[in-house]
Amino acid sequence: MEPRVPLSSVIHTDKLTKSYKGVEALKALDLDVERNSIFGFLGPNGAGKTTTIKLLLGLVRPTSGSATVFGHDIVGDSIDVRRRIGYLAQDPRYYEHMTARETLTFTARFFYRGPRDAIEKRVSETLEIVGLADKADRPIKGFSGGERQRLGIGQAQVNEPDLLILDEPAASLDPMGRRDVLAIMERLRERSTVFYSTHILDDVQRVSDTVAILDHGELIAQAPIEELLAGTGGVVYSLGLKGDGTGSQEHISSLPWVSEIRTSVSGAITNWQVTVTDEAVAERELLRAVLADESVTVTAFGRKQYELEEIFMDLVEGNGNGS
Amino acid sequence: MAASVPLDLHTGNGWLVGFGNMVSKEWGSWWRTRRGLTHLILWLFVINGLMFLVGVDERQNNPPIEILEELIEVFIRAGGLFATIGIIVATQSAVFGEKQLGTAEWVLSKPVTRQAFVVSKFLVHGISFVFLAVVIPSVVFYLQVIHHALMQPAFVPFTLGLLLHVEHILFYLALTLMAGTFFRGRGAVSGTAIGCLFAGLILPSALPSLTPLLPWILHPLASMVALQQDLPDQAWLSVIINLLWTLLCMLVALWRFDREEF
Repeated sequence: MEPRVPLSSVIHTDKLTKSYKGVEALKALDLDVERNSIFGFLGPNGAGKTTTIKLLLGLVRPTSGSATVFGHDIVGDSIDVRRRIGYLAQDPRYYEHMTARETLTFTARFFYRGPRDAIEKRVSETLEIVGLADKADRPIKGFSGGERQRLGIGQAQVNEPDLLILDEPAASLDPMGRRDVLAIMERLRERSTVFYSTHILDDVQRVSDTVAILDHGELIAQAPIEELLAGTGGVVYSLGLKGDGTGSQEHISSLPWVSEIRTSVSGAITNWQVTVTDEAVAERELLRAVLADESVTVTAFGRKQYELEEIFMDLVEGNGNGS
Repeated sequence: MAASVPLDLHTGNGWLVGFGNMVSKEWGSWWRTRRGLTHLILWLFVINGLMFLVGVDERQNNPPIEILEELIEVFIRAGGLFATIGIIVATQSAVFGEKQLGTAEWVLSKPVTRQAFVVSKFLVHGISFVFLAVVIPSVVFYLQVIHHALMQPAFVPFTLGLLLHVEHILFYLALTLMAGTFFRGRGAVSGTAIGCLFAGLILPSALPSLTPLLPWILHPLASMVALQQDLPDQAWLSVIINLLWTLLCMLVALWRFDREEF
């Protein structure tokens, strides 16, 4: 029986597995990437991110399991898959004797048969977009790392792909280059799906709408970014207090909707992380209950906002990669 | 923006997907760089330079017919040996080099078949190298012979001899490409092909019964054909079997490259 693929899925994997000499680099991956999403694929080095990408592109073969891209099987219909993809490798390599224009023209001709003028126009526009128009006719061998990365982004989008796959696109870029890459990704979202691997968590939090975390070849989380950032440890409020809050802490701990208080001291300020079981009651009562103690002054109060880094570290360390 | 530009998408399937573009790329690596000119100068210098020296030497006290035969013999045998080593050295990195540098991974992430990747290399390297190391030196040689021997080589036999020489070169091209799909080092690739070439200098005396079935027979046959000498029995069988060796090397290369992971 054919596996059921959600209609809105661009990428669907079903127990996709890859082993190298008996070692599983990717373990039964089940992944769904929604159309027009920016999908951040996270994981520590060696987690299996690049292996997954190479499997989707037909550069390596699955040991078991299957996957489809736009409904095309990645093994049997690899050419049809690649016709709809733009790909930027982690460490992209091109023919050094070619110029940037020749490289993009060579790439474009895999997708388009002509007309020649239209291909040349598309190439020129792409060179403008990635900021290489003034270096278009220079051989690549003289390009800097940033220029090569821009060329890489250019060749990945010269065919206006339905799916853009980027493997660590910003890893070797300076802050300006990173900003440009993120801007290009956001622009492409309107008509494409972007699937990218990275370990720069700030970037993921800025642009991604869905995130998957891979560790030791296993998928340990996949969720919309808001859901992931909401955390898994319940609702937590952060408070900053001045003064002796011992009595107040005992009182708050005894409230039935408070499950835990963690404290830390930073100079004259004591910080509380109050985990609650009833968000609505806590929102109404918590601050009031603390303020009732006149021996303390509240300097800060708010619902704790998780950073993706915290979530990532918790999940990865919880999966046994913490040391 | 580019969305308004009408472009015709490639839609076909089969093993030829991306072949034309790969051929164009490989062609460019010979003819849009200095590579072609370098080879042209190299082979004119090595092959025709050698023939000039031989011609000057032979012209002293030898009758024209002997000069002619000697020149043709040396041209096919020595020129052939140099050209065969040349194709091995020139193409030893064609497959393994692209695997090692990562350009093969980049190209194969586009809609192109692995067959197109390998066959385009065979086609373009074969045509370009044969043109530069066989056709042009042969034309120059033809004029050199007239100058040194005051005679013309018989055109058709000479051309047929050259075709056998080309068959020999193409076998070593296929062998080198095949080795490139198996190995990850230049030494192993060129060692395989050059080892096979030099085995041909030793083994025929040890295994005379097998020699007609192996590529080493082609150069002796080529000079016999060019000199209009009597051919051994089953010479045509040797020609056909050696074409099949070339085909076999290409099929093995395609099979192996299809299993390659990047």
